[in-house]
This record gives sequence, C-alpha cells and structure tokens, in this order.
Amino acid sequence: MDPLPLPTSLAEVEALIRALYQPNPPETISRIQEVLQRLQRSPEGWQLAESLIAHPEDNIRFYAALTLIVKLNRDSAGLNEDDAKLLLENIISWTIQSLSDRAAPFVTKKLCSALITYFVLFSHVWPACVRHFIYCLDLGRGVPVENLDDALSTDILVGNLDSQKLKVAIWFVTSLVEEVGKTDMNSIKYAEVHQRLAKNGQDATCLLARGFAPPIDEVGLKTQEETLACFQAWILYAQRASSDVDLLVTPLRQLVDPALQCFTNEHLFQATAELFSDVLQNYSGFFTKAHYDALSSFFESQWAANHYQQVLHGNHREDGISFGLLMLAYGDAQVQALLEGTDERSQRFLESLSGLLATDGYLVGDDAIFVPALEFWSTFIETMIDCTFSDGDQSPVWKPYAERHLKAVVTNSWRKIQWPSTEIFAEWDSAERAAFCDARKDVADMLQSVFTLEGLDLISFFANLFLQALASQSWAELEATAFCLGALSDCISEDSKYDAELSKVFASQFFDLLGQGQAAVPLRLRQTGLSLIERYCEYFERHADYLPNALNLLFAAVGDSVLGGPSARSISTLCSSCRTILTGEAGTFIRHYQDIRGRQVLDALAEERIVLAVASIIQSITDENEKLQKFEELYTIFKKDFEFAVQLRSQPGLVDLTNPNVLRGLDPPIPSSLPLVEGISLHIALRSMRCIASMSKGMQDVKESPVDLEDESQVARTSEKLAALQADIVSLLIGVQQVFSTTGEIVEIICNILRAGFSETEPGPFVFPADIITNYFVQQPFETPRMGTLLSTACSFVGSLYRGPKAIVPNQLVRLVPWVIALLQKLPEPEADTEISQNGICLIDRVLSKYPEVLFQVQPGQMLEFFFMFTLKVLNGKEPLPKTAAADFWSNFITLKPPSPDLASHVSNAMSYFGPLLAQTLINNIGGNAARSELDKLSEPLKKLVTQQVQAQAWLEGALTRTDEGGNGGGFPSAAAERVSMAERAAFLKKVVGLRGARQTNQVVREFWLLWE
Amino acid sequence: MGSTLCQNRLIEERKQWRKDHPFGFWAKPQKNPQGVLDMKVWECAIPGKKDTIWEGGQFKLHITFPDEYPTKPPKCKFVPPLFHPNVYPSGTVCLSILNEEEAWKPAITLKQILLGVQDLLNDPNPESPAQAEAYNLFKKDRAEYERRIKRIVRENAAP
Repeated sequence: MDPLPLPTSLAEVEALIRALYQPNPPETISRIQEVLQRLQRSPEGWQLAESLIAHPEDNIRFYAALTLIVKLNRDSAGLNEDDAKLLLENIISWTIQSLSDRAAPFVTKKLCSALITYFVLFSHVWPACVRHFIYCLDLGRGVPVENLDDALSTDILVGNLDSQKLKVAIWFVTSLVEEVGKTDMNSIKYAEVHQRLAKNGQDATCLLARGFAPPIDEVGLKTQEETLACFQAWILYAQRASSDVDLLVTPLRQLVDPALQCFTNEHLFQATAELFSDVLQNYSGFFTKAHYDALSSFFESQWAANHYQQVLHGNHREDGISFGLLMLAYGDAQVQALLEGTDERSQRFLESLSGLLATDGYLVGDDAIFVPALEFWSTFIETMIDCTFSDGDQSPVWKPYAERHLKAVVTNSWRKIQWPSTEIFAEWDSAERAAFCDARKDVADMLQSVFTLEGLDLISFFANLFLQALASQSWAELEATAFCLGALSDCISEDSKYDAELSKVFASQFFDLLGQGQAAVPLRLRQTGLSLIERYCEYFERHADYLPNALNLLFAAVGDSVLGGPSARSISTLCSSCRTILTGEAGTFIRHYQDIRGRQVLDALAEERIVLAVASIIQSITDENEKLQKFEELYTIFKKDFEFAVQLRSQPGLVDLTNPNVLRGLDPPIPSSLPLVEGISLHIALRSMRCIASMSKGMQDVKESPVDLEDESQVARTSEKLAALQADIVSLLIGVQQVFSTTGEIVEIICNILRAGFSETEPGPFVFPADIITNYFVQQPFETPRMGTLLSTACSFVGSLYRGPKAIVPNQLVRLVPWVIALLQKLPEPEADTEISQNGICLIDRVLSKYPEVLFQVQPGQMLEFFFMFTLKVLNGKEPLPKTAAADFWSNFITLKPPSPDLASHVSNAMSYFGPLLAQTLINNIGGNAARSELDKLSEPLKKLVTQQVQAQAWLEGALTRTDEGGNGGGFPSAAAERVSMAERAAFLKKVVGLRGARQTNQVVREFWLLWE
Repeated sequence: MGSTLCQNRLIEERKQWRKDHPFGFWAKPQKNPQGVLDMKVWECAIPGKKDTIWEGGQFKLHITFPDEYPTKPPKCKFVPPLFHPNVYPSGTVCLSILNEEEAWKPAITLKQILLGVQDLLNDPNPESPAQAEAYNLFKKDRAEYERRIKRIVRENAAP
C-alpha cells in the first residue's frame, strides 16, 4: 500500500487524529500513524502542536502534547536559550489552561510529561522546577523563570493552591521523580539532572505536606491517595540516589508522621499499608528511631487491635492480609531490636507475630498469613543463631524471652500442619494440596533451625507430645508430631544422647498399632510412621532390639499399593545400614521375600530394593561358608526365574495366568491385551537380571579396606566354592545374553553387575577374577547391542585393574587393546557411534598412560597405525565428545616419557610420522572449523607440541601455509584461507611459539579462531 | 567487596524465592554443622515437567555460587549425576544460560535457572553433548532412551 500524502490543512490533520483513535483495521491505523509521524518530525511539527494544544477535543489535545514530547526529544538541539525559555512558559500555560478548560486528566498528565521531558533536557534553564511550577499555578499562567526571585515562599504558594491545582502539582512531582528516576544515574549525561532534582526535594516535600492535609472534598481525598503514591516514589528515588542525605532524605522524613495518619482512613488504608510495607522491606534505614516508635504505638492502638483480631479470625482478604504483612514487614525491619528488647512492648509485639501462625482456617486456601509469618520467624531464628554463635555469650539476657516465643512458634506451626479430614482434603484442588505440602516443608526447615538452639529440649517436647497424642488417639496430632520428629532426624540420628527421648517413641504402643494395619490407624499416619523408621535408621543400629519389629512392620506393608514403594525403600536403607546386627536374620528375610513373592507380584522397583536389602545383610555375614550358602539361596531364585523364562519360549503352553511366576512377566501388570510369549519371557528375564544387579549392589562392602598393589596372591584368596559360584554367575549372564541377544537392556544390566565388583577390594561373588572379565569382553563381537556401554565398562575395568595388584595387569591389557581397536575398525566411519569412539579412545589412552609398551606390542602393527589415524579423523570431525577424548590422547602421547630406549625410538618414529598430520588437524580446527567450546581442549595438544617437540614450529608453519583443499583436515580451512592473511598466520605462530605452552596460548588461539568469524 | 555483592544478591534471591517460586521446586541454602547458613551452596530439587516423560520425578541439584557471582554464573550439579545428554558424568549441567561465554547475564535469577534446567530435561540440546551414553541413546534409540528415563523417574519419584 502506498503511504498517505501529507495533509495540507489543519482540518485534515484533525480528521487524521480522530481516525487514529477510532476503531479501524490495523493497516489503516499504521498508515495514519506513519503519516502523522512524518508530520511530527517535519519542521512544521512545533507549529502543529501549538495550533492544536487548545483544541476542545481531548484526543486532539493529547496528540498535540505528544507531539511536543516528540519534538523536544528529537529537535531540542535547534532551540537557543531564549526559545527554550519561551517554550517553557508556553507549556506551563497550556497545562494550566487544560485544567481550566476541564480537559480530561490524561491530557493534563501528558502535558506534565512534556514538562518533565523539558526538565531532563533543559534542567539548567529550569533548576527550581517544582517551586516555579507551583508559582505559575498560583498565578494561573506561565511566567519567566527569572520572576521567581520576587515570589513568596514555597509554603505560602502551596497554601494558595485550590484543590484542582494541588492535584495537578502532585501529578507533576510524581511524574518528575518517576521519569527522572528512569534515566541512568551513573551516566555523566544525566548527572546534573539528578543533582538538580535532589535540590527540588525540599519544595516537593512542602507540596506533599499540603497533599496530606485533611481533605475538604472528594478531590482532596483522591489527592491524598495520590500523595501517598508520590511520597513512595520519592523515597524509592532517594534510596537509589547517591546525593547528599540532607538534601532529599531529611525533608522527606518530615512526611512520615502525616503519612502515618492516613492509616485510620479506611479509603487510604490499603495505599498506606503498601507504602509502609514497601519502605520497611526495602529501605528500612529511611525511618528513624522516632518513626519506629510511632509505628510501634500505632500497632498498640485500639484501631490496630481491631484489625489484628480480624486477621486472627480469618479476614485474609486484601485489607486483612495487608495489615498482617505490614506487621511482618515491621518485624523484619526491627528483628534485631525485637530479639534483644526485653521490654514489654517488644514482647507484646512478638507475641502478636507468633499469633499470626495460629489464625483460623486451613493452610493455604483459608490462611494466607501463615507462610509469610513463618518466613519472618525463620529470619528471627536465624538472627538468634547468629547472635548466639557470634557473641560467645551463651546466655544473653534476652534468651529466655526469645525462647518463650520459639515455643509458641513451634506449637502453633505443629498445629497448623495437621492434615484436615479426608472430606475437607478432597475439596482442595491440586495447587492447594501442593501448597500445603510446601508449607509443611517450610515448617520442617524451621524446626531444624530451632534444634540448633534448643537441642534436646525440642526432642523431649515432641517425644512427650507423641505420647500424649497416642494416648488420646488424636491421629492428626500424632501424625504431625511424627512428621516433626522425622524432620529432626537429620540433626540427631547419629548422636546417641537423644536416644532416651527417641526410645519413648519407638518403644511405644504406636508400632504395635501400625502392625494392625488400616483398620487401626489411618493411612497417612501409617505412611508418616513408617518413614519415621527409615529416617532413624542410625537409632536402630544402636538399638537392635527394636529393629526386627520395625522391619516386620515394613515387610508387612510391602504389598500395599501406596505404602509398598516407600516401605521397600525403608527396608533397603535400614538393612543396608544395620547389616551387621541383622546377619542372623538373613535366612528369615529370604523366606520373607519368598513368601511375599509367592502371594503376589511385587512392584518391580520395590522388589529390587528388597533384594538389595537382603543381599546387604548377606554381605556382612563373616563366616565364608554361611555367607555363600545364603547368597546361593537367594541367587538360585533368580536363576530359576531365568530358566523358567527360557522354558516358556520353547513351551508357550506353559503360559498360565494363575501362576505368579508367569504374572511376573506382564508389563504393565495389567496389560490391555495378552502380550506374546516372547515378551513375557523377556520381561521375566529382565526382572531376574535386575534383581541380580541389586544383589551385586547389596554385596558391595560399605567399609574401605587397604589395597596392597604389590600383593600377587589375590587369586589364592578366592576359595574353591566362591570360584565355582562366580563361574556359575558368569555363565548365567552369558547365557541370558545369548538367549536375548538383541536386547540392549540385558547388556546394560550385565555392565552394572560387572561395575559393582570393580570397586571391591575383598573377594566376593561379584568380584570376578580379571581373566574372567577380560574373557567376557573380548568375546563380544561388534554386533552386540550397547557396545558403547560395554566399552565404557571396559574403561572402568582398566581403572579398577590399576587399583589392584600390578602383576596381572599387562596380561589383561594385551588382550583388551586389539579387541578395542578391532571394534573401532568395524565402524563405518569414526562418528558412526560416538559412544564407541569416545570410550574406545579413552581405553587406549588409559593403557598409554601406564603401560605404553603394551600399545607398541599390538600385532599386527597396522592396528596401532590405524588407531592413530582414527584419532586424527575424529579430531577433524564434529562430534565434541570423541574429539575431546582424541585431544586428551594426543596431549598424553606428546608428553609420554618412554621407560625404555626401545620404546623411545618407537614413540619418536610415530611422532615424526604423525606430528605434521596432527599439526594440520589442529590448525584446521583452530583456523575456524572447531566449535568455540572446543578451543580450550584443542589448545592442550598444541601447547604440548610447542613445549615437547623440537620440530613443532616447522610442522605448524607447514600446516598454516597449506590450504585444506580436500576438506579433510589437511591444513588451513579453505573457506578461511582468503580472510586470514599469511601475515596474520605467521603472527599467530610467532605468538604461540613465544608463549612456550603458557596459559595465554588459549586466548591467542581464541583470537585467531575469531578472525574467520 | 565482590564477595559482599555476591552475598547481598544471594540474600535478595532467597527473599524473592521465598516470596514466589514455581510448584514442586525446592531451593534453600545449605546449613553448616552449627546450623548457620552457607549462602554460597544451595540444595535444590527440580520436578519433571507435566505432560513429559519426566513428570512425577524429582531431581536433586546443588548450585554453587562463585565469589564473583553475579558477574560469573553459578555451577549446577545433579546429585547423584543424572542420565541426560547435557549432564556431564560428574553431574554438572551444560546449559547456555550457565555459561559465562554464552548466555549468562547477571540479571538471571535463581528461578530462571531452575526453570531453565527443568526445560532442559525434556528438551536436550544435541549440539552440546556432555555424556556419551545418554547422548548416543537419545540420537540412536529413542525408545530405549525413553525407557531409561521412565525408570529414572520411578527411582526418583517426587514425594
């Protein structure tokens, strides 16, 4: 669409402005806007504004004011000082005229904005803008700035203003402080504007004081509200301004008392509360001691007492909550003084703040003040902790006072977090439920802080409360108490000095009741009760007599759909940490597990946790024979599962949905249609494998034993029975993998089982001899699923070999290295499988770091050559992870210190052959082909080259001057060749060589790489 | 001086977080053995996003703030390390808004960081892999990748 032609008459302009504010299609509006903007920006813009500024239509008048702002911002440089002064007089006159014409407020406010724009640009012409504006308002027209010398004092001028003029003056000073506040205080450009604004502070205060005066009419009331907002804006500005405190803050402080008077006016309460809360929270230093005293007296007034009662009794709508938040803001600002003040007034105030934790109604839907109040108390407690630990004075005078409040806080919070009845809970939406749980967590957090101060007393308090609630069968109270005790477990469970109190709880009838199930105790209480057991597992370690009962309870809950998961987790935590006292129970627990299994299909994850638990008990049996016997008992269950899975495949007729062993193979447990036999069989096998993996985790030793690297007798320490068991396990694993050869998950689980043994230092069923593990790895063909994961496991294996006896290491590496390189050779290209590439390179790198001679022994010799080339190709590629591995490999290779002369000559031959190629690859990357995030990694081999290799400079120079025409990494990238001159490349080389491997090389590399950007 | 700036900003972050934080998230400064807060290390929990395979999970994250914070970004680390293409084997999260040389800005709040990490869970960035296993499965075998995630979610079920 063509742009509209410029209007030729004022009438046309008016028509356009009218159309602009009328409902019109967007494209019409933007065309009108475009032509009007052209007009505004033209030299005739000033004249346009002047012609329309007294127009009877508000929209047109508004547009004229807008045009003034546009002209000021764009073309003020063209005004000389006389023009500027005249313009000011005019704008002021127009503003006053808009008031007398009864133009809409948005017109007058826009004109005020034009005046502020003027001030920002010409503050030197108009330094006392507030006083001058008030003076003009009083006169009813704009007058020269110089006339101000003859004017009366500001307070007299302000006193003369009628309510309409007062209102406009308040608009002006509000807009003034807000708009100037938006400009950058730190820039030199605006520094003087800010200084001049501050000098207006006294005049603004004088005006605002009048604004606060008791209103005589409706306009006055509205003005009072606007005065409050304006005052708030000025305080906010004063806080940010770096100017002299006396200039701004001192006069503004005179307004606090009149502002305080606004509280009791019900129309103004909301705005007043907002002002005070805001300043208390963000600029508490603004108020003086006298102000705080005044606020404090205000809180003691009858009016405040009424409001407080309303908050207590559930008025958490806007006004109620505002009052509560105001109290909390005051508390926050004065927290230190309140804490240390033992006077009655402070005590009463703190009492009322702890009362805010006990208002009527449920969290969080009805009670909106609890969470902010708890926040205050958390701050209070933190302050108390800081004072207690930093002063060194353990019993300050205020402590007993503060402790009394803490007691109320703890009790009120405990009451508040009690669950409502199921009927009420059912009415809550998900957000309310989540918020309730969040509030409980906040309380738990607060209690932990209180514990820091109160220790044993707090535990006794809850232990006694527990017994009381139990006696009266107050389930909700009992649940909340158990929750609070649970929250404190992190603080105390390792310390036996609280055991006497805890024993009150754990020896109580409660746990007998829990055993009686749903009928005796509501579900939620059972849940909290069971988790209490888990949280205090260290206590049970010290009090073995309670342990069997606790575990029986947990086992009984394992089958429950809600409690099953958490119970299984508790069982595994408890058994794992109390394993040494449970050794005698291993047989019982295996039978427990078998019983449950026979009755129902357990949730898979819960089952794994139980198996882990039982295995961890078996692990701690000291008698070797008994240990292996129990192990085998458990292991055989899963071995049979697997055999059954294989049997199912060949005899699909065995699928019988009343057989729990078959049901184990259904995933999900209740499928929409009966899955194929293969699926059921696979799932049974997967479950049994995962259980064996859990056994391998449970069998890990929890204590560390020293390792003798020179000890060669490891093999001899493995008994015949253990060796036979290990052979059986390995053949089972291999067997499962063969039957389900396409399932990657099986391989993943086998890797987890192997890894579990790597970290062990004592013999055990999963601590396989190195030969067996190596055999397993080298028999895996390239086609095995999850080969990358296998290779990463092999990497960990090499790491574990290095932590064990040295003698057996080379034999393993000699077999692993060719296997790894052969796998890399099978990759269609180096980036075809990043996991294989990365882990393959890592493994060879590990071998290089400790046994370099093994690498150079690999037969046939081309294998090693292939590997070197492979890493260079990876370096030329785009995959960050293998690339990092290859860069690490080369960094290590370049700095290799060969232990024998023979090896030294191999290494040096390899270096002189691959050195130039490596240089080309690195230059290709640094020249622009690498990603920015790779540069640091790639700088490493570069730095090593420069420091270790005499020929490095020649190699790099060759690489820098050679263009990589083929795009395969052979020199400087062709795309960058034209942009980076030979001189720049030479300068780069000079810097890199000169830095001799220092850290600044990375920066030089970065800058060079950027040349191509 | 820098350290005071760091401390003040963290106090402010804590205030803001307490005032307003997204559902299911959890963030608080660590406490030392005496119970005094260490503002430089925060313990957080991130819930899996609704309507994604991560829903129902809750993952623990440690955030460590350097002395130069907020000029420099904090470090986020999943504890224990998480199976995810953009999480290093150590647990450290690789995310542009946490990288000083990329998108970090001092104005980024704790809330934005945690929401950013939550978004990352279901929306990995294949351009900057941090661990081979998750990255490889994500690229090559999405079904297996998702199966793994679902298991991890069950193991780390939100309470």
